[in-house]
Amino acid sequence: MADISAQAPFRLTLPRLPWYVWAALIWIVLVLVVAVFAPLLTPHPYTAMKLTNRFVPPFDRWTHPLGTDELGRDVLSRLIISVRISLLIAFGATLISAVLGTTLGFLAAHFRGWVEQLVLTLADFQAAMPFLIMALSVLAFFGNSLPLLIGLMGLYGWERYARVARGLAISANTQGYATAVTQLGAAPQRIYLRHILPNIASTLIVSMTLVFPEVILVESGLSFLGLGVQPPMTSLGNMVGYGRDYITRAPWIMLSPAVVIVLTTLAVSMLGDWLRDKLDPTLG
Amino acid sequence: MTALLTLDAVARAYVGRQGLFGRVTTVRAVDGVSLTLVRGETLGIVGESGSGKSTLGRMALGLETPDEGGVRAFDAPMPALGTPGWRALRRRMQMVFQDPLGALDRRLPVLDQVAEPLTIHAIGDAKARQDVAMAALQAVGLSSEQALRYPHALSGGQRQRVVIARALITDPDLLVCDEPVSALDVSIQAQVVNLLIDMQAARGLAMLFISHDLRVVRQIASRVAVMYLGRIIETGAAADVLRAPRHPYTRALVSAAPAPGRDRADRVILTGEPPNPAARPTGCAFHPRCPLVTDRCRTEAPVLSAIAPAHSAACHLLSTQTPPAAKAA
Amino acid sequence: MLRYFAIRLFRALITIAMVVTFAFVVLRMSGDPAILIMGPEVPPEALEAFRKSWGLDQPIWVQYLNYFGAILRGDLGMSMRDNRPALDMVMDRIPATLALTVPALILKLAIGVPAGVWAALHQGTGFDRAVMVMAVAGFAIPSFILALVLVLVFAVTLGWLPSGGQGGVEHMILPVLTMGIGGAAALARFTRSAMLEVLGRPYIRTASAKGLPWASVVRGHALPNAAIPTVTLIGFLVGSLIAGAVVVESVFSWPGVGRMLVVAVGSRDLAVVQVILLLVAATMVTSNLIVDFLYGVLDPRLRQGARAA
Ligand SMILES: Nc1ncnc2c1ncn2[C@@H]1O[C@H](COP(=O)(O)OP(=O)(O)O)[C@@H](O)[C@H]1O
Ligand code: SF4
Ligand SMILES: [Mg+2]
Repeated sequence: MADISAQAPFRLTLPRLPWYVWAALIWIVLVLVVAVFAPLLTPHPYTAMKLTNRFVPPFDRWTHPLGTDELGRDVLSRLIISVRISLLIAFGATLISAVLGTTLGFLAAHFRGWVEQLVLTLADFQAAMPFLIMALSVLAFFGNSLPLLIGLMGLYGWERYARVARGLAISANTQGYATAVTQLGAAPQRIYLRHILPNIASTLIVSMTLVFPEVILVESGLSFLGLGVQPPMTSLGNMVGYGRDYITRAPWIMLSPAVVIVLTTLAVSMLGDWLRDKLDPTLG
Repeated sequence: MTALLTLDAVARAYVGRQGLFGRVTTVRAVDGVSLTLVRGETLGIVGESGSGKSTLGRMALGLETPDEGGVRAFDAPMPALGTPGWRALRRRMQMVFQDPLGALDRRLPVLDQVAEPLTIHAIGDAKARQDVAMAALQAVGLSSEQALRYPHALSGGQRQRVVIARALITDPDLLVCDEPVSALDVSIQAQVVNLLIDMQAARGLAMLFISHDLRVVRQIASRVAVMYLGRIIETGAAADVLRAPRHPYTRALVSAAPAPGRDRADRVILTGEPPNPAARPTGCAFHPRCPLVTDRCRTEAPVLSAIAPAHSAACHLLSTQTPPAAKAA
Repeated sequence: MLRYFAIRLFRALITIAMVVTFAFVVLRMSGDPAILIMGPEVPPEALEAFRKSWGLDQPIWVQYLNYFGAILRGDLGMSMRDNRPALDMVMDRIPATLALTVPALILKLAIGVPAGVWAALHQGTGFDRAVMVMAVAGFAIPSFILALVLVLVFAVTLGWLPSGGQGGVEHMILPVLTMGIGGAAALARFTRSAMLEVLGRPYIRTASAKGLPWASVVRGHALPNAAIPTVTLIGFLVGSLIAGAVVVESVFSWPGVGRMLVVAVGSRDLAVVQVILLLVAATMVTSNLIVDFLYGVLDPRLRQGARAA
């Protein structure tokens, strides 16, 4: 049960965090700053080619600290833009999936009966089918665009929020404050949005930190296969995908985005694990 | 005076499963209860745990729909649960719960929660609501500083005061209190009961006061109904029922709860198993524990009938000794 | 017992029906199938004829039923690129995929389960912590990155193994390792927590307090009980063999079903995509079903619960 007293999540005394949580937080903040201010931070335009400058290794010239790629484009600039795009997709998708899943979970809890059965069956189905395969089929049929990709990734993990939201809403409805507020004459939307949602928010946020890194991994996998973000736009998976063709001659093209992917997923999932242990040990 | 609330032979059964193999059992939590409540009166409902008091209280408020019988409130049938008509009626009938911490939202300051019924029923503007809620909290004895706290930062008694303030803020005509003080420390109970008595007197509230604690009911109720396994087995003026109980069960209950000026020598001890609603005994449901049981009690269920003016009981001994017809005269 | 299996079977069929529905909806929403399949430059009369012959002029629910019927008959359409029945093309590729995924599965089980059990029995030791670190790393390192790192080390730098393609056993080592390592980490972590949960139960403590040797408590009580949740994960791993092969086959240019799917998606060869989608669903559902049957056998409480439900 998400029976967390109100002060727990918000009055953490900062210096008491374990070191790895600090490391994860610092990395996440760094990545977020890079994503938000990306256009201001790139030393070169990320699409600027200079064929005389191809395959410059990292740390070789001050102008290209992470080297250049097969077209003479600055790897650092491309990396910065890729972080922005990958995080945009991951954030957008996580948000969509959380809203969708929570809404369906609330509907299931409120109506019970066949609505609940339908939601649960859909959730089972989503959990049973490998997401990558479903995503690939949708991309095959619809082609590709950034909004479609975000929407598609927004289907990732909704079933987890739906299950959590349904379970917590049912238990809130059968006893306690939700009954009390119903008894005051409140309409269902008030009960769910103003009372139940804030009470289960911490559990949902923990779920989000657990789903978020997986979204990054799926998106980078799709882009790596050339079926996600399309050039000239670039994302982390995309860079690894194109870089692999030059793995012998210029491994740095794929290594820097690969490191960013691994560190980011690692940081968010460590933070998520830690939050879960702190706030909600019952969650998967 | 016309009745604010009328329950006419209401019954409510729960279907459940027991054990691994899922034997289906039906629990008749409330079984044919009738009662009326008029303005300004407090009816106490007493009985052991599991006797159906809470279920009765929920049906009285329309929080639960009876399987049989009907509920009328304010001279109209109770609207269906969750309908706009039902929601609008909440303004006039409210509830105080046993567990105040459970009844409050942990994530909102209590002032906001006390103001919430005003928001729900669109009474006043935002500023006025806050002022009214603050005044209501002060009226139940909380300071303006405590009004801004979260529920967990208040004591049990203070929380229950908050719940009472919230229940009374729309100025209802009817209040159902389900064991409002049993979760509280004994030293606090009297204060909260006194608060309820004051509020009731000041506003002319009709109150359904549910409790298993006779001492508390004696303090607050003008009339009393005693429940056993879903039925009322004795009812009448509080003074009659609690000072001179007639039904063997009520007598056992009353003697178990020490009252001033009574001798311990005439205590009747309740023996046998506590009642199990899933296995209701035949005949008089009390017969396995009754010291006066006869053969007739095992087969034939007694009906609630008048034994004195405004005093009824359901017991073969009482009705045979003084037949209702003779008594009514 | 029978009722329990009947319910599972029914759910499995529902899942398959949902996949077919999913394919149908996606196919219809993606545009006019006639144009999609025949191409935009085809004259209108030809499109009309195509629609008629495929029943596309009929109401949508008739089309849906026809589509269902066709799939039940095994009529899964022709590949646009190769002009061969899509089903045959996919079937041709299955042996290659199995050649990678089956050894990878064995590797996962051979490393993951013992590592998880050992870590749980020696909780807090260096080995336990190493398993946990590996498990976290195994989650955070996606298979395409792991694959490229292995290529970089063993093919590019050391030159010991080929970086891709089909051939002898040496071609299979890196792909199998890639799939095996990630899965083993996840399985170890899961087995460890299942085992720890069981070891904390009162009856285990009672059994060991009664003086039974610890080894036989573990063998007789803890392992069988921890096996129950672990079997679920193994079922999931079996069911997602094809899905797991998509990335790895692409990196190593291995001519299996996974790579075929990526190529088919790239060239929008819808019939092939659809066959693979159904194949994945069928494996997933079948392995779930087997897991459910095993559950029924392993856990008598569940049988009774199912009867009660
Ligand atoms: N929601 C419910 N579902 C199933 N059984 C219930 C429910 N509510 C009450 N009961 C059963 O009905 C009987 C009466 O319960 P209740 O009205 O709570 O009695 P009291 O308030 O007097 O303790 C009990 O046996 C209880 O188990
Ligand atoms: S009817 Fe019989 S068993 Fe019931 S209370 Fe009266 S005497 Fe006792
Ligand atoms: Mg009760």
